[in-house]
Amino acid sequence: MGHARAMAVLPRTDGAAAPPSPAGQGSGASVYGMELGIPLGGCRVLIADDSVFNRKTLTRFLQWAGITQVAFASTAEEVMERLESFAPDLLLLDTAMPRMDGIAVCRSLRGDPRWRDLPILMQSTLNSDQMRTVCFSAGATDLIAKPINPGECIARVRYHLERRSMVQELRAFRERVERDLRQARAMQLALVPEPAELAALADRHGLTVDSVFRASDEIGGDFWTAFEFDGTRVGVFAADLSGHGIAAAINAFRLHTLLTRTPPEELRDPARLLRQLNLRLGEILPLGQFATAFYGVIDRADDSLLYAAAAAPSPIVASGHRFRRLDAAGLFLGAFRDSAYTNHRVPLRRGDTLFLYSDGLSEALDADGAMLGEDGLLQLARQAAADAPDRPLPALMARHAAAHGERLHDDVTALWITRR
Amino acid sequence: MDFSVREAPASTEIVLSGRMTFADHDTFRDVIATFERPAGHRMVFDLSRLDFVDSSGLGMFIIARDTAQRRNLDFAIRGARNEVRRLITIAKFHTMFNIDD
Repeated sequence: MGHARAMAVLPRTDGAAAPPSPAGQGSGASVYGMELGIPLGGCRVLIADDSVFNRKTLTRFLQWAGITQVAFASTAEEVMERLESFAPDLLLLDTAMPRMDGIAVCRSLRGDPRWRDLPILMQSTLNSDQMRTVCFSAGATDLIAKPINPGECIARVRYHLERRSMVQELRAFRERVERDLRQARAMQLALVPEPAELAALADRHGLTVDSVFRASDEIGGDFWTAFEFDGTRVGVFAADLSGHGIAAAINAFRLHTLLTRTPPEELRDPARLLRQLNLRLGEILPLGQFATAFYGVIDRADDSLLYAAAAAPSPIVASGHRFRRLDAAGLFLGAFRDSAYTNHRVPLRRGDTLFLYSDGLSEALDADGAMLGEDGLLQLARQAAADAPDRPLPALMARHAAAHGERLHDDVTALWITRR
Repeated sequence: MDFSVREAPASTEIVLSGRMTFADHDTFRDVIATFERPAGHRMVFDLSRLDFVDSSGLGMFIIARDTAQRRNLDFAIRGARNEVRRLITIAKFHTMFNIDD
């Protein structure tokens, strides 16, 4: 031991060593005319080898590859210490040294999550297939046979460093996108009514509202909202933007913005609201993108639901033991100019339920690839209401998950609204 | 989704099959490429082998309709069955498309 300086940062132009490259080319430009790809000047390599000769040789080869940040270790403890203090991008590890079992070091590094991805190149004089297999089983990324050939050594080091750099870049990109999506998801969740506000609104209007709102990816194109515009009427709007992911979510925000800017008098008439939204959305959305939507006004004064729809999944109205689907046919919002919509009025008395859902729920596939369908969902709703009359929606979602899995391929909105 | 093209002198029939979803944008670009026809030519989507279409797929029908209108082609869809038929019915496509059943 007794290395005063474990880390040697070598100058780029070390006159003592020249790579076996065509005359006249600078250090690190090429070895045997090999393309040297991305610069490796920023990379750090730890050499675990106790032979001074080997260290010098390897250091020289690395320098030809443009790598000047090199540190050394000759015991397992030193390897651990240098990994922490030097943070290498690659470890060149000798399999057998008097004071260190390289195979054991490699195996223990792979057991530590911090070093699981570190490229470890093992060098060995024993080049039997058995020895190579032992190295790979211990977690070696690659092997270099001794005596070491500069061309092969540089090519392998370079390959693993480049690969590591690409993986790190991808990981950083992925982490950034995940962070952005998490933030976007929080924003999307904020589009739907806040639970306490919703509960207060429901109380004021003698309603019980249970809801599920989930995106298949981090974000998606579903949203719903509810608002009151006088003492007896509550509006419920649910929409599903075509497509998936970010584009659908951006369109959901656009539609939400249009809706919140709509003057209250336009909210009283569902067909009129959809007509207006169709016009405005049509000006914004690219061709082929659209929304399906349901808008209903629950009116306590005359025990009715007045609604209009734009190709929404058929809402279900339950009255006692009778469950029936409402007609929700209509042209997509934002797809065709001058689309007109129709108002429908159906009874919705005390004790009756309105169940709204997105197609993510009705189009879910079971393990055999069979689609639930709207009939299947109606049966599920009926069973859930019988099983758990006080809170049917969680029972419905549990039955749904049992047959169709928790992880759905589409966004899911489900709203179970009962007049108390 | 897969598609095949059947040519006749004054019409082109495109048979769509399988599941038509978000993942088929590239395939659909090839479908739209077949719309390079003289004005008045008839383009027909045969949906009889289509098992499922999602919202992105329905959006592709809208793009096809628009492409046909811009090129003065006669565009129709026909043969939708089961789930596909249900979806184009609730989307009231009969008011916007020629449905040739």
